[in-house]
Amino acid sequence: MSDISNFSDDDDSRQEDCALVDALSELNFEENNIENIRKRKNSDNQEQSETNSDPCSSNSLNFVDEEYDYLHDSEWINQKCQVFILSTAGKPIYTLHGDEDKLNPLFGLLQALVSVVSVSSNGNPDEDDDCIRSITAKNTKFVFLIKNPLILVGVNKSKRSEQQILNQLMDVYNQIIFIVTLKHMKNVYEKRNNYDLRKLVAGSERWIDHLLKDEKQTRISNNSFVSLMHSVRILPMEATTRDNITKTIQTNCSKIKNLVFAVLIANNKLITLVRMKNYCMHTDDLRLIFNVVECSESFKTAENWLPLCLPKFDPNGALYCHISYLSDDCEACLLLMTVDQESFSVLSNAKKNITEKLRRSNYMEAINEGIKDKGINLKTIGVPDIRHFLYKNKKNTQLLCSEITTPYNTLEQFERIEAMYYDLHNRIHRVSRPLKLIYEMHEHEIQLAWVTANYELYATFEPLVEKKSIIIAQVNKLLKYIKKEEDKIFMTGTHIF
Amino acid sequence: MATRKKVLLKVIILGDSSVGKTSLMNQYVNKRFSNQYKATIGADFLTKEVVVDDRVVTMQIWDTAGQERFQSLGVAFYRGADCCVLVFDTTAPNTFKNLDSWRDEFLIQASPRNPEHFPFVVLGNKVDLENRAVSTKRAQQWCQSKNDIPYFETSAKEGINVDIAFQTIAKNALAQESDEGIDSAFSPSLTLGSSSDSNNRPNSSDCSC
Repeated sequence: MSDISNFSDDDDSRQEDCALVDALSELNFEENNIENIRKRKNSDNQEQSETNSDPCSSNSLNFVDEEYDYLHDSEWINQKCQVFILSTAGKPIYTLHGDEDKLNPLFGLLQALVSVVSVSSNGNPDEDDDCIRSITAKNTKFVFLIKNPLILVGVNKSKRSEQQILNQLMDVYNQIIFIVTLKHMKNVYEKRNNYDLRKLVAGSERWIDHLLKDEKQTRISNNSFVSLMHSVRILPMEATTRDNITKTIQTNCSKIKNLVFAVLIANNKLITLVRMKNYCMHTDDLRLIFNVVECSESFKTAENWLPLCLPKFDPNGALYCHISYLSDDCEACLLLMTVDQESFSVLSNAKKNITEKLRRSNYMEAINEGIKDKGINLKTIGVPDIRHFLYKNKKNTQLLCSEITTPYNTLEQFERIEAMYYDLHNRIHRVSRPLKLIYEMHEHEIQLAWVTANYELYATFEPLVEKKSIIIAQVNKLLKYIKKEEDKIFMTGTHIF
Repeated sequence: MATRKKVLLKVIILGDSSVGKTSLMNQYVNKRFSNQYKATIGADFLTKEVVVDDRVVTMQIWDTAGQERFQSLGVAFYRGADCCVLVFDTTAPNTFKNLDSWRDEFLIQASPRNPEHFPFVVLGNKVDLENRAVSTKRAQQWCQSKNDIPYFETSAKEGINVDIAFQTIAKNALAQESDEGIDSAFSPSLTLGSSSDSNNRPNSSDCSC
């Protein structure tokens, strides 16, 4: 990457320095550089000889301005996942790691990569044909999502597939639309294509950070799987309790005009959702709501009134959201979403009434019980050889997971099993050859993936289960349990105001 | 509000081949000059931090290929520029005549919203040489006729006027970049039943309610 930013002291290497296009036309450009970066990292201050093969290595310090050089920061280099957002003009908007101000040359390079490929078409980045999609360099994938006026780039060193990285970028893109709305963003860039979008995103970067799950403390969680599985998780509770909570919301909101959605969530799981007739909440939008609620501590202390755009619902406008927690002793968050800008006080009242009713009927306790739930306990349901599973109910895109226990409750082991699920999911859903069943024995575990018309099951077993019949018996037992408890662990039926 | 971000200014240098675009950039950023000529292939850029009106800004200076056969980054890449620097060689009249077409080319490709007021800066380079062929007066007249483009006579070799020229470039680019008045027009309202929400009907496959 140092090639183009760098001016060489000695003129003989100038030719190489300038040869952006030449270099880009051969993919080993990236590969060499990544190699070189690695080499440099290893040989820093040790031996020059290794890097001498690279004509620019002696100048690579110039890559970033005098302040800081991320390419010599092994922590930055070794991040498994990087996400960069820039405008099609090459203006930096966001980086997951580091400070985008200090990565300006990198953003310039990313824009050049996009430009040089779109040149070979009509030079029009709006057109889908002929745009750069990905670069693979050894174990690192660079995936590009071009959504004029934005360019999103994901760099990933894990085994994730191009499509999975692209999905992650799509989520990030939607999170930006969630904040800015597509219409407003397009307007701004139509008026000024050199616009610095950070002016509009400022303060909301942590929503993107959180979406990309960078925080180590909360990393070990089944929540990591909702984006992979394109689904939401449901807070477990008795069906009658859930019905009554839903009815409480319905009765208190039925007379409010223009109320589109009422969503009650706790602990990243959905308790209930009530909607206006003919309108629907998309799972992707719901996941953005979960994300924003989880990383906004301030929602806990006050009533909030925010215009938020649900990109799948309507990318061009925002719904006004009344967001508040039920009470100090019940950490469930209620979102009332309307198209009426003036209805704050109406919704605030409705929320008070809902809270009171739920408290009087002891439903808050039921919610608190559900919040404590860590996922299905496999020992108690008599399937001891299953260590962990993911079950997606395809009909309503709801995800059920088991509790994360040993050996997967350390960060290292969790990330390992997470990568295995990603890999499994990728292979069973491969477009060129989708599969129905995968059964694999690995060194440390046995894994099974099974896709049917109604559900997808991904299960991890003890490695020493000798007979397949035991596996089959336990899977059947698990499925039977899920069927039996369906009303409790999933949310069935739809509710309208 | 988060801490104020550093502004990135995208500056594009255009002009005929061998007028000294690369040398000017190199002199400005690295304080170096070489007499050897090497064609720029595609494009190249350098960044430099400068202080303009008490604000630290980062200039991303894109040096482009003057020779047509090496112009391969294309039009997409001109978009979103904050300033365009047109360079000619004061000893080569043809390079001066071509400023018109470079300017037009830029305005067509970059399509800035307000082409009349888009910040250009013109640099007449190589004033250290004796075989001068374009007079100061002639260059100034052209600049005046194009909405008073600032004009500097520079020598990348001797470092004459290079700093002040780029300081002006940064200043004009920043003025253009921070032109306020479009952030506020946010009207988020949404009308139910409009055609755009037709995909929200409950039977869409990913509905979770």
